[in-house]
Amino acid sequence: MTAPYLQASAIEVSFGGLRALQDCSFTIAQGRITCLVGPNGAGKTTIFNAITGFLKPDSGSVTFKGRALDGLKPQDIVALGIARTFQNLRLFQDLTALDNVLVGLPDMAGEEPIGAIFRPFHAARALAGRRTEARAILEHVGLAHRANEFVRNLSYGEQKLLTVARVLATGAELILLDEPASGLSAGALDAVMALLRRMQAEGKTLLVVEHNTRVVQKIADDVLFLHQGHLMAQGTPEQIISDPALAEIYFGGAI
Amino acid sequence: MDFLWSYIALAEIYVLLGLSTNLLVGIAGIFSVSQAAVFGVGAYIVAYFLMHEVMGFLPARLIAASCCVALNVLVTLPSLRVSGDYFVVTSFGIQLLATAIFVNWTAGTGGANGLPGIPPPDLFGFPIESNAQLVLLCSAGSGLGCLAFWLIMRAPFGRLLRAIREDELAVAAAGKGVLRAKVSAAALAGAFAGSAGGLYATFLSFVDPSSFDLDASILLLTMVVVGGARTLPGSILGPFLLLALPQALALIDIPTSIAASARQLIYGVLLIVFMLFRPQGLAGEKL
Repeated sequence: MTAPYLQASAIEVSFGGLRALQDCSFTIAQGRITCLVGPNGAGKTTIFNAITGFLKPDSGSVTFKGRALDGLKPQDIVALGIARTFQNLRLFQDLTALDNVLVGLPDMAGEEPIGAIFRPFHAARALAGRRTEARAILEHVGLAHRANEFVRNLSYGEQKLLTVARVLATGAELILLDEPASGLSAGALDAVMALLRRMQAEGKTLLVVEHNTRVVQKIADDVLFLHQGHLMAQGTPEQIISDPALAEIYFGGAI
Repeated sequence: MDFLWSYIALAEIYVLLGLSTNLLVGIAGIFSVSQAAVFGVGAYIVAYFLMHEVMGFLPARLIAASCCVALNVLVTLPSLRVSGDYFVVTSFGIQLLATAIFVNWTAGTGGANGLPGIPPPDLFGFPIESNAQLVLLCSAGSGLGCLAFWLIMRAPFGRLLRAIREDELAVAAAGKGVLRAKVSAAALAGAFAGSAGGLYATFLSFVDPSSFDLDASILLLTMVVVGGARTLPGSILGPFLLLALPQALALIDIPTSIAASARQLIYGVLLIVFMLFRPQGLAGEKL
């Protein structure tokens, strides 16, 4: 039997007296869209931080295709093929949309001073190719027409799409999206859901934090339900949503 | 005429320093107030080698630049461990420490009296003595510096540094090493400051600690703020304008005893006024 695609085992994280994650274990299957749901403060973003190396768990471990991720830096984990977005976007406001994507592209020539100063023509030639690559990614998320716009001039929906473009640029195969649909208009919401489906069709595996139950029903293959740092349930969207005990936790009462 | 030549040469040396400070503070966001200390180390090293006839100007300057690369990496390493505000305090301490060494290590630096009689620079054995030759040398030095700065700004490395200044976490999430890029920026800034130091020592033929103290570091920051952060024109404008100020004050008939403090006062006021009303400087972007 091969190792699970992504496996989290008994992860514990505390912030002072607050136990953000307690004995949190789950697996994620390759090629599927897994939604991570739960009330505010359940520990969803903490799971993201623990998987992507932004936070060192107090105990427990994460393995990706059988390889332990313990102690690796965020950029090493990206190189292994796991990348994430942030709930508060964290785009580079003073750079253009295209430059934001270019920062995400790996193995960039001229990204250190020696190459930049002593091999400028090589770097410039390489950059032309990478620009084409970055434009194709912007095209993919539907932002090609905004490539040279500064981030601060983009709408919120466009900024969300740009975070997806930047994470796609890293070439990661497992992509963690932190609330990609929140705060979007109905039209933008449909565009994001279609984009997630396309990414899945292209072979990406997605782990998505999402609050909107309609979105979860539409896109999720699997659902992880988190509550107060515990993994309460794992199942199909139908199983999770029809469970009255979970609805009680999630909505604070019967619906 | 001599007056004009020396102003141009000195301003060109400070352009190199402005580039160094702009790289570190403006572009990479490493807020260092100890750049003058690094500048001083470069100047003293070249002065020592030339006065003791150990080697020619170019190899001495190369060694000075290399030492300053190492020094600046060491000095800025704390910035990779402590966040912005704390680093200002750390680098403030490093600047004070450097000044203390410059003043008290009499055997090496001549102490408060400085090192007089530094020989003029030479290129492959030919001495550079006339003012025109010196200006040419300084122009070549700062020209190369500007070229390197320009290449960096348009290369992916420049974009990475800008991204780091805005959001280090997002850069790490995009799969790029923040530490390595910051160390590289610090190393480059050190090379610029060190080679500026070498030019400065031979140009003035005299160095003393007052050129490399905290006031000098703050002058460098003021140059970046007034000229404009993160652009080449800003790094050139700032030094030329701020160095014209003492010359302009010299034209007004005020006693020399208050001229120095008047200058500091004006620098301080300029810094505040620009930060408040024109944070992007004359030809740059917001710091």
